[in-house]
Amino acid sequence: MIELRDVAFAYEDAPAFTLAHLDLDVAAGTIMGIVGASGSGKTTLAKIIAGFIPSTEGGTYRGTASVAGAVLSEGTLTEAVDVVGLVTQNPFNQISGARFTVREELAFGLENRSVERSQMIERVDAVADTLGLTALLDRSPYALSGGQMQLVAIASMVVMAPPVLVLDEPTSQLDPAGTRLVYDVLARLSEGGTTVVIIEHKTELLHEHCDAISVLASGRIVSTGTPATVFADDRLSTWGVGQTRITQAAREARARGLLPVTALLPVGVSDGAAVFAENGAAR
Amino acid sequence: MTTLYLERASAVHRLNPVTKLVALLAIIAIVFAVPQWWIPLGIVVLVVVPAAVLARVGGRLLRLFLILLLPLLVVLFIVQGFFFPDGTTVLWQWGPARLTVEGLVFSLTIGSRLSALVLGSLVFVLTTHPARLMTALTQAGMSSKIAYVISASLQIIPAFQERARSILLAQQARGLEIAGGPLRRARALLPLIAPLVLGMITDVDERSTAMEARAFGATPRPTSLTVVDDPLSERIGRWLLAAAAAAVIVLVVVGVIA
Repeated sequence: MIELRDVAFAYEDAPAFTLAHLDLDVAAGTIMGIVGASGSGKTTLAKIIAGFIPSTEGGTYRGTASVAGAVLSEGTLTEAVDVVGLVTQNPFNQISGARFTVREELAFGLENRSVERSQMIERVDAVADTLGLTALLDRSPYALSGGQMQLVAIASMVVMAPPVLVLDEPTSQLDPAGTRLVYDVLARLSEGGTTVVIIEHKTELLHEHCDAISVLASGRIVSTGTPATVFADDRLSTWGVGQTRITQAAREARARGLLPVTALLPVGVSDGAAVFAENGAAR
Repeated sequence: MTTLYLERASAVHRLNPVTKLVALLAIIAIVFAVPQWWIPLGIVVLVVVPAAVLARVGGRLLRLFLILLLPLLVVLFIVQGFFFPDGTTVLWQWGPARLTVEGLVFSLTIGSRLSALVLGSLVFVLTTHPARLMTALTQAGMSSKIAYVISASLQIIPAFQERARSILLAQQARGLEIAGGPLRRARALLPLIAPLVLGMITDVDERSTAMEARAFGATPRPTSLTVVDDPLSERIGRWLLAAAAAAVIVLVVVGVIA
């Protein structure tokens, strides 16, 4: 679904390329997690996948980014927006300012795509229900907490039902319940065929929900694989990515001789429990 | 949100905002076209005030009149009534201050026009929710980009004020003193400017990305979730109001109203 080939990008007047020789493949209907240290180029990558770079950003762009077979840099931004939905980092800046209630805010993108009113009402109500926003529909978007604003920002994009959804740190301001809600929605969308790319620091969540993980370091993808293999990689910390607490515990147990050196490093709670039980360390 | 709107269930509230806007513009055109001071005053007494009472916003209108307009009217009366340079018919004199008939008429003319303009506009904003106004104007054919500029300024400016407050709080937490005289308080605001302005510039960039991601401006004729009723009677009413204002202007220009 998403294919990036030898992509490179340098912002105008920047001394170096933010991304260089970057290849990425995301299969249709899967959830891909992108991890990387701060400043590794994650947001730039999100903008490239969504078609905003190079069309709205000056600088040097090379390579090919195609989504659903169409090369984004060859089409217009409107064409890209129809295919890829982008949720950026700061929820405050995603509130349009053009609408006075959450209900209208959620419908804003649909209005811009000339969706019929009856269909709009249906879709807005459905997405509000899914993301627990029904009680907030008549409130001003600016009267919401950071977490509620973030849910509105995500809902505003989900309601447009793009085939590809790119989310840049979508749960940074959410509490555990809100985070779970978002990931449940993303899982359901993925089951329905939507391709999801999530840029996120919370490795536990990514392990639990993603089909694949790519690690971005120094402007290129340095590792791609299943969450279990990528997050158990010894080089993870050198790429500036934190390991899950289960992996950290297992590593510590291995260092103390409680687990054999050959034991696979677990990433999630269930495989952690299995590894510890298998090796007798749980006793 | 920066708005004076008061939620009430009234016929004035229910009117299509465009109808109210046309009525306001017609009033403004008429009061500034006619030379007689009693016509604007008549419009205030017979149209604006009854509309405010009908809309159950009379109390707020009175308060706003006392705060905003009355001081201005008093100053106008003193300056123009007592010191009108072309005043010849003196009614009362004390030193350089001469109360003249011409000065009084002049202050009444300006004062009644100003009253009609300000009170009429206040009734409009007190009874019209900005969201409904924007929807009605967009339905009437106004560009969604212009509607955005108006809506955003009503909503984003208070949001930025909130941000300024949080920057100030962060700076206070790091020892910035803002208590003291006006000069000290003004000086304390200086460190606020750079983070606020730089933050706003970054925000503009990100906000435009978010707007484009939601296809803003992609279609010349977007649909609308909220629909404002625009019955035939109101459409006819608007044309009649516009025609009345045009007729008054013509009558003034040709000299029938002098």
